[in-house]
Amino acid sequence: MYVVIGVLPFIIQNTNFHHVMVIFLIFAAVGEAWNIITGFAGQTSFGHAAFFGIGAYTSSVLFWKFKINPWAGMLAGAVLATVTAAIVSYPAFRLKGHYFAIATLAVAEIIQQLVVSWDYVEGATGISIPVVADGFLNLQFHKSKIPYFIIAYVLFGVVLLISYLVENSKLGYYLKAIRESSDAAEAMGIDHALYKLIAMMISAFLTAIFGSLYAQYILYIDPFMVFSMNISMKIVLLVVLGGIGTIMGPVIGAAILIPLSEYTRILFGGTGKGIDLIIFGMLVVLVACYQPHGIVGMLRRMSLLKVSATKGGGATHAGRNAVS
Amino acid sequence: MKRRLVVILLASVLVLSLIAGCSGGSQQQAAPKEEPKPQTIKIGAILPLTGSAASTGVKLKYAIEVAQEIINNPHPEINLPLAKDAGLPNLKGAKVEFVFADHQANPEVAKSEAERLIQNEKVVGLIGCYHSSATKPASQVAERFQIPFVAGSSSSAALTERGLKWFTRIAPNDDMETKFFFDYLKYLNEKFNAGIKTVAVVYIDNEYGVHAFQMVDKWIKEYEKDGFKVVLDVKYPTNVSNVDTEVQKIKQAKPDAIFHASYIGDMTQFVKKYKELGVVPKAVLCYCGGFQDPQFVVNLGKDADYFSGSNACTSTLFGKMDALNKINELYKKKSGVDIDGPTLEDFASAMVIADAINQAGSTDPNKILDALKTKTFDAPYFVSGKIKFGPTGQNDFSASVMVQLQNGKYEAVWPEQFKTADPKPAFPKWEAR
Repeated sequence: MYVVIGVLPFIIQNTNFHHVMVIFLIFAAVGEAWNIITGFAGQTSFGHAAFFGIGAYTSSVLFWKFKINPWAGMLAGAVLATVTAAIVSYPAFRLKGHYFAIATLAVAEIIQQLVVSWDYVEGATGISIPVVADGFLNLQFHKSKIPYFIIAYVLFGVVLLISYLVENSKLGYYLKAIRESSDAAEAMGIDHALYKLIAMMISAFLTAIFGSLYAQYILYIDPFMVFSMNISMKIVLLVVLGGIGTIMGPVIGAAILIPLSEYTRILFGGTGKGIDLIIFGMLVVLVACYQPHGIVGMLRRMSLLKVSATKGGGATHAGRNAVS
Repeated sequence: MKRRLVVILLASVLVLSLIAGCSGGSQQQAAPKEEPKPQTIKIGAILPLTGSAASTGVKLKYAIEVAQEIINNPHPEINLPLAKDAGLPNLKGAKVEFVFADHQANPEVAKSEAERLIQNEKVVGLIGCYHSSATKPASQVAERFQIPFVAGSSSSAALTERGLKWFTRIAPNDDMETKFFFDYLKYLNEKFNAGIKTVAVVYIDNEYGVHAFQMVDKWIKEYEKDGFKVVLDVKYPTNVSNVDTEVQKIKQAKPDAIFHASYIGDMTQFVKKYKELGVVPKAVLCYCGGFQDPQFVVNLGKDADYFSGSNACTSTLFGKMDALNKINELYKKKSGVDIDGPTLEDFASAMVIADAINQAGSTDPNKILDALKTKTFDAPYFVSGKIKFGPTGQNDFSASVMVQLQNGKYEAVWPEQFKTADPKPAFPKWEAR
């Protein structure tokens, strides 16, 4: 699948398609990052736009005000987001379940309001990133979207690898234990506050990197764009659609959701009747109602049903284990 | 069964999106075969057709459709360039087609739609986007692809301060509006002895409001010699739910005039609170925003009277301006309401870009840009009567009149040659209404 994604833009030579691919990769990667804290560790965050926005703003401000290279800015943004995540999450992890989710939502909204009223970063006006010469070093490409795609693709690969490593490491098992029962995990001697914090920091770091890339790609940001609840919700939506707590889930979710929203808008958006949003919303409702484990869950159950048909019996039990 | 339904739905949507992607590709390949003088000239229009400003976006779409109708069909009864014949006379009667795209009030979407319209739809020009924040990235794309962009109603002055070569804008910006406000106050003082000296600025905390305030800050230096003074500025958050403290501050400062940069929801709250706390200024002048929306009168009834603001048009002017009246007749058939200022400005952007293509006699972007930057365009639907873009791309002719609500009607009160009623230079006591 990873190879197919990498080859597609070279087969279909259409700039708009390339745009969809870049946005797809950015959101698939951010979905993976979110999945680490919510899917693996079970701590629902509705505030990932905060980290995305911090990444976007840090690299943009550094480049715009101090001419600091966007790659360095990207790293700085990621570090800043990690620190923010640590400061914010440590007290917030005392809250459980819904209360933690509400806290993350509140933090993201607070940060958005702060940036809106912060004159140094142009507040609500937003920042137009200065256009400079094309090139890998400047992270700006004006003639083609393929270089953006390649960078997003490589970074996305790194995120996939990190996700895989986290899932199959001691950390991953600890996180899953915490997700299933934090009390039981603690009784086993797992320091749940520490491991949740580590997961949150990794997640924020990766999210911010793609925030920077997004800003460099659009070349204009304002607080309503990168700190908006829309971004947080899009991340949640695509992971839930694809299958939460799995590596493939965010990729599949983004592969469906991003092209769907782009192409329904292109097809029907010009009519001014909102048909694109109706279709989009309908699909989300359908999946939420009938496939709460997402598409990965659906695929697993289908393959397990086949296996059980040949072997007979025990499929429901196995299926439940596989998706939980 | 249900599961199968979901699978089928998912599959059909995927196929649908694939078809969309492929058809885009084939269009791109077919494009180079086109004739040098095509029969249909495509122009992209990027508007907020869904999202928070959807109701406005749909009105803008109707107005642009009216422009297309006037250009493509003979309308000898309207005294407008391009109305008389069908199509563009200098391009063998070529028809104009506006391709609409939705930016959902999202700058990212505006950017990608601009790219798609230019590359896949092969538009020769772009208009839009209403939101200044969407116009910004969309016009940067136009600059990169060297395609002319004519903005209608996006009013942030920052847009024309970026040094873009391919960008022009019809609406007066808040810089010009601010000067217009002070000139009007001067007129009230001189002609009606209104005695207006102190000014308060009340503005919403976003690009529109903050920039308006910066402009007041800039222009007050010019007008200090006329005795004006800014005594208070009040910034309030975008999602404000209670304006008590803001209005208390205003009441204490007792300004003679208040400048408002507000949208319809917050403006309504302020007026109600002014009434509650008995704030009685001499004049309230509103930047293009909530006051200009006819909903303002619907919301507030009699309390809306005496408020003023700049506007490109008002229904009381229809009797005075024949072309505007005829355009409104066509527009009203589609939308059911009278045409308003921002909508008229976007209508103008559609007319002007078609006129520029016609005067250039070509769809070559360089020639269109040349026409846009050098020619003066007839615009009998504006009080200024014409449109001419200066070196920054800003329309030099401010098409604004000062309108004041009197008995629920937007009356034009200034400049004198367009006035439909005399201005009332002081608010009465709220209980005396």
